[in-house]
Amino acid sequence: MSTKHLSPEVLNERRLEAVRLRLDGHTVAQTAARAGLSAPTVSAAWKAFREGGWTAVPVRPRGRKTGQGGTLDVAAQQVLCARLTMTPDSGEPAWSSRGLADALSEVGHPVSARAIDHWLEARDLKPEPLALTALARQRSSAGRWYRQQVQPVLEAVRKAGGGVWQGGVRVTGTRSEPASVWPRYQLYLHGKRGVLHTRCLWAPPAAGEYMALFQRLHDLLPDRPTALVFQGAYFQASPEIRRWLEAHPDFYLINVPPGHGTGSTF
Amino acid sequence: MTALTHLQKLEAESIHIMREVVAETENPVMLYSVGKDSAVMLHLARKAFAPAPPPFPLLHVDTRWKFRAMYTFRDNMAREMGMDLLVHINPEGVEKDINPFTHGSAIHTDVMKTEGLKQALNQYGFDAAFGGARRDEEKSRAKERVFSFRTAQHRWDPKNQRPELWKLYNTRKHKGESIRVFPLSNWTELDIWQYIYLQDIPIVPLYYAAERPVVERDGALIMVDDDRMPLKPGEVPMMRKVRFRTLGCYPLTGAIESQADTLPAIIQEMLLTRTSERQGRVIDHDSAASMEKKKQEGYF
Repeated sequence: MSTKHLSPEVLNERRLEAVRLRLDGHTVAQTAARAGLSAPTVSAAWKAFREGGWTAVPVRPRGRKTGQGGTLDVAAQQVLCARLTMTPDSGEPAWSSRGLADALSEVGHPVSARAIDHWLEARDLKPEPLALTALARQRSSAGRWYRQQVQPVLEAVRKAGGGVWQGGVRVTGTRSEPASVWPRYQLYLHGKRGVLHTRCLWAPPAAGEYMALFQRLHDLLPDRPTALVFQGAYFQASPEIRRWLEAHPDFYLINVPPGHGTGSTF
Repeated sequence: MTALTHLQKLEAESIHIMREVVAETENPVMLYSVGKDSAVMLHLARKAFAPAPPPFPLLHVDTRWKFRAMYTFRDNMAREMGMDLLVHINPEGVEKDINPFTHGSAIHTDVMKTEGLKQALNQYGFDAAFGGARRDEEKSRAKERVFSFRTAQHRWDPKNQRPELWKLYNTRKHKGESIRVFPLSNWTELDIWQYIYLQDIPIVPLYYAAERPVVERDGALIMVDDDRMPLKPGEVPMMRKVRFRTLGCYPLTGAIESQADTLPAIIQEMLLTRTSERQGRVIDHDSAASMEKKKQEGYF
């Protein structure tokens, strides 16, 4: 039985259980079957116990410890913060980790997209996309909303070769700095394969900022339709956005109703 | 015999006050603002006079700017309770289209609430009015007696209040005078929530956290409840998970960000909070001691 899929915590519990079973007189085969481990793993755990006692049984934690990886220096972080409040020049709807890494490299701060990903995550700037497809079979108001209002639009847009995006606006509030030193509002989008594009703002986004974002999404595939499932804004109250949507009939803006989109899952 | 819990003691005290008022006055009324305190007060009134309905009507001094959910709840409650619900709107305020945006919170409150209340009390000739105010809400309410006497012009004199030793209430009044009675004076916000939870009292859903469209105004989160809310050019309200600790006119009532969408969660939140619920009321910040001034002029 393969143990590669197990987390270190579960694996360690099973290894300890395997040693206890072996001490009780079970054979390797019996122990492997009862503990849900392979025979070589049982033998390895047993050998580790005989050589080093109980403390030697658990496996070492995988990967690098938190904080041991390369971190962004203060100067790079300042550039990153400044960039996040701007609109990218590349035509991207908002900043991706790759786009930010390239922008920082251009000004003499070479960092990887992965490092930026970690930095965003540490600062609570990496929201998860909505689990939309999980709604297809749900018997709930959220499920009905998805099947009746979202699924048909997304299927039609995909069929026409258009772009499908998810996004939202939110207040990021877990940071220790006061609101005056860090922009509290985050606009974010999830594109293909859930790639995050984000921007930070000092004030709640105004209609002009939303429309600029929609226009950028629209311009990515100008001759094809675009669908955006968006949460966190009350567009119904904005006549400017209503007018923009009327002028762009091939842009489908789907508002996530209250209560359907809180958090990353429904 | 087991001792009463603190909530049972508060309940008994409130019921005693209500019965005292009904026994001692001629034409009492219960002010019903549709909030949680009104809900508790109404529940206590029903208990106090059960199995008969409470021997007084409900009076809602409407400003036309309450939350839509409050109007729906008010009408449903009145229908279910089988009590008379009197709704009074100051006709002069309607004529002049007094509203919190163009006239400001102070004028709006004075015309639509204070004057509206005085008009309604005069019109129906009520000599005692139950209110759901509590001492822990605001400092001027803290020093007001349970039986708060008002002159014929409905003015309150904080320096001329009657002692209420051993919970003995002197209800004698001069001709034209009236009494505002606060049966929930000694309750705290936490007591109210615990009582609502224990007695399963229905309340307006706005008290529970949910995603609602809000805009920021002077640091307060104001819910965009209808099309009358003027937005700044290009402003788009954000959907945020908020709830209200207190309910009034929607443009003057600030929401708080909260995840408390059940009564136990609200109670847990109350245990940790160190601010008054009235921090969310814009009218309380109009000027120093603004509540006391309003009360002296006749505000409830």
